[in-house]
Amino acid sequence: MAKSAPTTRYIRTPGTLGREDNSLTFRNEKGITHIPINSLKELYLLNEISLNSKLFTFLSMANITVHFFDYYGQFRGTFYPKEARVSGKVMLLQAKACLENRLPIAVAFVGAIAANIHEVLYHYFKHGNKEIKPYLDWLKKEVPDLLPKIKKVPTLLSLEGEIWRRFYETFQLILPEDFVMNHRVKRPPDNPINALVSFGNTILYTKTISQIYHTHLDQTISFLHEPSDRRFSLSLDLSEAFKPLIVFRTIFEVVNNRRIQVSKHFDKKYNYCLLNEPGRDVFITAMEERLQQVFDHGTMKRKISYLTAIKYDAYKLKKHVVEGTPFTPFLEKDRR
Amino acid sequence: MRITGTIVNYYIHCKRQCWLFAHKMNFEDDSEDVRTGRILHEIRSEGRNNTEIQIEGIKVDKMTEEYVVELKKSDADVEATKWQTLYYLYILKQKGLDRKGRLEFIERNKQNHRTVELELDKRTEPELIRLLDDIEVYLQQDKPVPAIYAKKCERCAYYAYCYI
Repeated sequence: MAKSAPTTRYIRTPGTLGREDNSLTFRNEKGITHIPINSLKELYLLNEISLNSKLFTFLSMANITVHFFDYYGQFRGTFYPKEARVSGKVMLLQAKACLENRLPIAVAFVGAIAANIHEVLYHYFKHGNKEIKPYLDWLKKEVPDLLPKIKKVPTLLSLEGEIWRRFYETFQLILPEDFVMNHRVKRPPDNPINALVSFGNTILYTKTISQIYHTHLDQTISFLHEPSDRRFSLSLDLSEAFKPLIVFRTIFEVVNNRRIQVSKHFDKKYNYCLLNEPGRDVFITAMEERLQQVFDHGTMKRKISYLTAIKYDAYKLKKHVVEGTPFTPFLEKDRR
Repeated sequence: MRITGTIVNYYIHCKRQCWLFAHKMNFEDDSEDVRTGRILHEIRSEGRNNTEIQIEGIKVDKMTEEYVVELKKSDADVEATKWQTLYYLYILKQKGLDRKGRLEFIERNKQNHRTVELELDKRTEPELIRLLDDIEVYLQQDKPVPAIYAKKCERCAYYAYCYI
């Protein structure tokens, strides 16, 4: 089978993006690049790019989502075309599920975080890292016992926080010394590992927004995160289970293979730290490879990618709110 | 809920597809088959003025003095197309337009004929009315029937949603 055109395009250099007939063109000092629109689903603009409304009309017709980042790699927003898939019924049922049945859905997300972190770290245990054993046992034995006993979302959130906190603590056992994290700091991150985590989580979050866009789910009605957390808080929920598998595996890979290095790939200014342009390129390429990685999906009898698995989690959630079928987020151990 | 020709077709073809479609949970993916069907339809109707007539939610591909013509990409589900067309004949009859039906398939895989003719008569009309009642009742259910996991599912745009 011929390799199909990419569904995602990252634009990293300054220039002008425009419409020419029924095609996209990108101009910069190097010349003109044509971007086929056929299979394109999303655009990432990671630099200063000029655009006009004629282009947005065209992108909207083609149902393409556009994610904007500023010069520092901070996510600034998404252009969300006039919704292609809208179902009042799904929205009402999703809201009803959030009001009446929020906890079990939220618990399912946290269970998936724990299970998937276990999968990721088990690799290091298997290769001789015995010190992470207590954390692995806690994830595998205690967390699944605790989860069904939880009665309130805040209690669940503190357990989730504990899972992540203990995960970050294991970094000193699996990463080189200059990448060890003392504590998780967001907006803005203050050290290289926090910069990688923030950037990776943001890319995954926007990827999930684009995937949800192609379903009928409402982006604002979420279960684990407060529906008012951010405008698109459902994306925060659905991306959680994939963070260990996509974001953290990518980080461990690029750091341990020395493809990203503290001296070369970070800008340190005042008291914060950001991935520089070459660093972002390395990271995005590695993360995109992981998202496109395919494997056999059990019930589907098809090969799917991690990116598709995100969309399928949205389908599962939609099916749960509409038809009452069980909802379990993607679990790495179910991969075949 | 207003019944359309597509809803009648889907009810015969697949009840899940019918329910999801009727509740505006349309195709999740831009299915290549759906696209091909639409383009073929556009090519066929180009430069003609007797094409695509819209009455009360039904869209008739083509109408002549004698026939209502339904164009389909393939003859994959003749039965479903038959009832879709009979439904058109039924609506038109209520408007005082008596027509016969003709189905035209661009690809034929299952049968020898490229066209099928049919009529709304003493046998088919009461059967159609019963069918419409059944559809009405079914669509009022708060969820669709479970997935059937059949061979025909493999090419359906709802495949992933049903099988996940």
